[in-house]
Amino acid sequence: MAERAATYLGDDITAALAVDSTPPSSKLSPGDWAKTNLFSSAANTIVTAIVAVAAGLLAFFALRWIINADFAIIRANLRIFMIGQFPREELWRPWASGYVMILGAGLTAGAMARNSHELALSQELESVKEGWGQLLRRFWPIIAASIFFVSFARTVMPYIGLAAAYVLVVVAREVGWRLPAAIRERALFIGVALFIVAMLVIAGTSRLGGYALGLVAFLWALSELSRVESLPTGFAGTAVRFVVALVVAAIVAIVQNLIPHDGFGWEDWGGLHISLFTTVIGITLGMPFGILLALGRKSNLPVLKTASVIFIEFIRGVPLISLLLFSNLMLPLFLPIDFERPADLTLAIIVVTGFSAAYIAEIVRGGLQAVPKGQTEAAQASGMSAAAVQRFIVLPQALRAVIPAMVGQFIALFKDTSLLSIIGLLEFLRVSDTSNAQQEFVGKGLASVTYLFVAIGYWAFAYTMSKESRRLEAKLGVGHR
Amino acid sequence: MIKFLLLLLAVAAIGTAIYVVGRLIYDIVAMFRNRAATSEGDKAVLWRDVKAIGIAAQIVALAAIVGVGNFLWGNFRDRTDAIGLELGFDFLDQPGGITIADNPLIAGDSVGKAIVEGFFNTIRIIMVGIPAALILGTLIGIARFSSNWIVRKLATGYVEFFRNIPPLVVIVFVWSAVFLNAFPTSQEAWKPLGEWFILSNNRFAIPSLMGQDNFGPFRWILLGALILAAAVAFWRTKVFDNTGAPHHRVLWGLGTFFGIGLIAYLVLGGPVSMSKPMLDDRGRVFSDGFRIQMPFAAITVALIIYTATHISEIVRGSIMAVHKGQEEAANALALSTFQRYRFVVLPQAMRVAFPPLISQFLNFSKNSSLAIAIGAAETTNIINNLFGQSQPAPQLILILALLYLTLSLVLSAIGNLINRRLQIVGR
Repeated sequence: MAERAATYLGDDITAALAVDSTPPSSKLSPGDWAKTNLFSSAANTIVTAIVAVAAGLLAFFALRWIINADFAIIRANLRIFMIGQFPREELWRPWASGYVMILGAGLTAGAMARNSHELALSQELESVKEGWGQLLRRFWPIIAASIFFVSFARTVMPYIGLAAAYVLVVVAREVGWRLPAAIRERALFIGVALFIVAMLVIAGTSRLGGYALGLVAFLWALSELSRVESLPTGFAGTAVRFVVALVVAAIVAIVQNLIPHDGFGWEDWGGLHISLFTTVIGITLGMPFGILLALGRKSNLPVLKTASVIFIEFIRGVPLISLLLFSNLMLPLFLPIDFERPADLTLAIIVVTGFSAAYIAEIVRGGLQAVPKGQTEAAQASGMSAAAVQRFIVLPQALRAVIPAMVGQFIALFKDTSLLSIIGLLEFLRVSDTSNAQQEFVGKGLASVTYLFVAIGYWAFAYTMSKESRRLEAKLGVGHR
Repeated sequence: MIKFLLLLLAVAAIGTAIYVVGRLIYDIVAMFRNRAATSEGDKAVLWRDVKAIGIAAQIVALAAIVGVGNFLWGNFRDRTDAIGLELGFDFLDQPGGITIADNPLIAGDSVGKAIVEGFFNTIRIIMVGIPAALILGTLIGIARFSSNWIVRKLATGYVEFFRNIPPLVVIVFVWSAVFLNAFPTSQEAWKPLGEWFILSNNRFAIPSLMGQDNFGPFRWILLGALILAAAVAFWRTKVFDNTGAPHHRVLWGLGTFFGIGLIAYLVLGGPVSMSKPMLDDRGRVFSDGFRIQMPFAAITVALIIYTATHISEIVRGSIMAVHKGQEEAANALALSTFQRYRFVVLPQAMRVAFPPLISQFLNFSKNSSLAIAIGAAETTNIINNLFGQSQPAPQLILILALLYLTLSLVLSAIGNLINRRLQIVGR
């Protein structure tokens, strides 16, 4: 240091630059580390002592409690915690569905990682394939939690199942990475289609499943046709594309409906499964509505603007619990009188979708405001229609900017699904209450054990997502504009 | 109060409808006037006129909203008629049959009164909880910058754990694992100071003040003294601003308030007296003193723990947003750590932090509805009990939403007012 300072003080700048400018090593000896971080002053030493004693006591009592706690209640109810009251002979369904979902997630993740890798290379940026160590660091809470959950199993099957799942995810990601470019470009459709197939496996085929698959087929066909350059431009081309896509969708839906409808349905789902399911569905369905509401709120047409503002502000001004009470007690009253009352979960999902749409609308509005006005003006100047300006110029930039906030909304909604317990759905948190009401465990004061188990389950997912959100924020550079 | 809010809602709805339709008609008239005034060569055909397309889209949207609304309302009337549900609000004046422990509400009181009492309880939770969460969150946020490794790590661990579990889980855990199981039963209540501090898993009680003769005038004198004390503090600030003499405004203010209060107390011959909690023969608190039902304490503590993590993240971000030179300048002036935060860093950080803090305060007030899970008698819980008394659900849900909307609006209005005072006034 001294010689560097001396060089700086001299006139010779080249000499100063020539001096090795690597910062001094930050490695401290344990003694020095403790001195700077724990005992830097008298006050600090006292604080360290007090806090260390308090934390030590807390850790001691927590550890003693955990060692002495009776985890039999979780062993007996593990299946209900995970998937609710699923019939025993149908248990292959959640496992198979989980594998299909993991396959889809692995393929999509691998393919998309390869896509952005290739893109970076084509722009001559540095990019290396993410190693397994990095993935482990990103997803350790979920991995640890899954092992923690399985450790309560009473048979060997769940252990084998979980190991198989991890093998599958590794293989699927590698396969996704190696897929030919033509398939990789369509990775998102593969992922969504496999997700719906997974839902059909667990719920059994149904007319609703047919519609969902048809919708994916429709969007996929549209995106395929938009690449065909021989089609005429203008209205005729659009019409041809829509008709062909509709025909494809109809074929898919009809084929799905040819499979005999059987299965468990979703009325009696439960456990962690519906917490995750409701979150995914709420965000996916809420997204298009949210984007429309955000555009409505930004528009200068008073009817659309007023309607959007009233909807958004009303939903955001009341607690979710009042909306869930509404779904349970009032929503069925709005159906035509000869309609049967839908399942509680269906009603709840309708309300959760509206709820997340209002919050997503506000997030998207923030993204829309972040797009510079010059973008819109340039697009208008080049003669694009109002819809095209939004579709091709504004929304892609706005949605990219709000990805981290959207992950944050996903976390918030996942935590909010715990409220489904209050309207009587057997979701993750409520299993804790029902298992404490079982004959062998009632009155034993085991609520704290089950609540801790539930808290760890929620934490693992939410913490992983919040880490991902921070990573995306850094990667997209959203916070630095 | 509820009927007044309902009236306000009706007025707002009618006003909005008139505004929307009126604005639409105005736009249509303006468009045709404009077209009539434009020469034939400059005019776009009607179906390519941007204004016309916009108006057409709005008419379609309005028709769709009215159509769907009408359809749903028709279904709703069919169903309510079929089950014989009255849609009026007269049930608010009927006896509700709701009682709240430690609350003068009796079973014969009206439904409306029960709801209002519940709403006051919600407000009490918020008024204790929000300041406490703000203080705890700020301290934790600062602790994450501590030079002490163990303090830093503990603060991070606390934030990352509680931020990522649902508030409902925190609430039920605090209630059933801590308050219900770890605290003694009401017969064996914990009384380290005799009647001065009684804690059980049922109630918490400390002595309170009780009004005697002349309490009415005394109350008004205290209110006057408070206003006068505020005026004195304001005057001292003015003196400080003008002359630079030390202001001591807190001392002056408190002196004024307690001076007047003491004189009034002596002159009026002891208008208040101490009221100690009364115990029955089994050692349980049953009347007098200041009593809190434990579910209320549990929901407040749990929400403070949960919301403080979010507040601390906001505070941490805002402290990071304060220019580093400010901190270095404070260090160069040899300010202590406390002085640095109190006079340099925090005032600037709070300016950045306040807008997101308002939304956390709103979240706190909405999350207080989760008390329904542990049986604290606040708004949502009372209304949920009224469903069980076969009171009409649609009206009650409307009232529930209306009360929380009012609360959100008032809180965000207060927050925005404070925010405007915090921001730097540009010249």
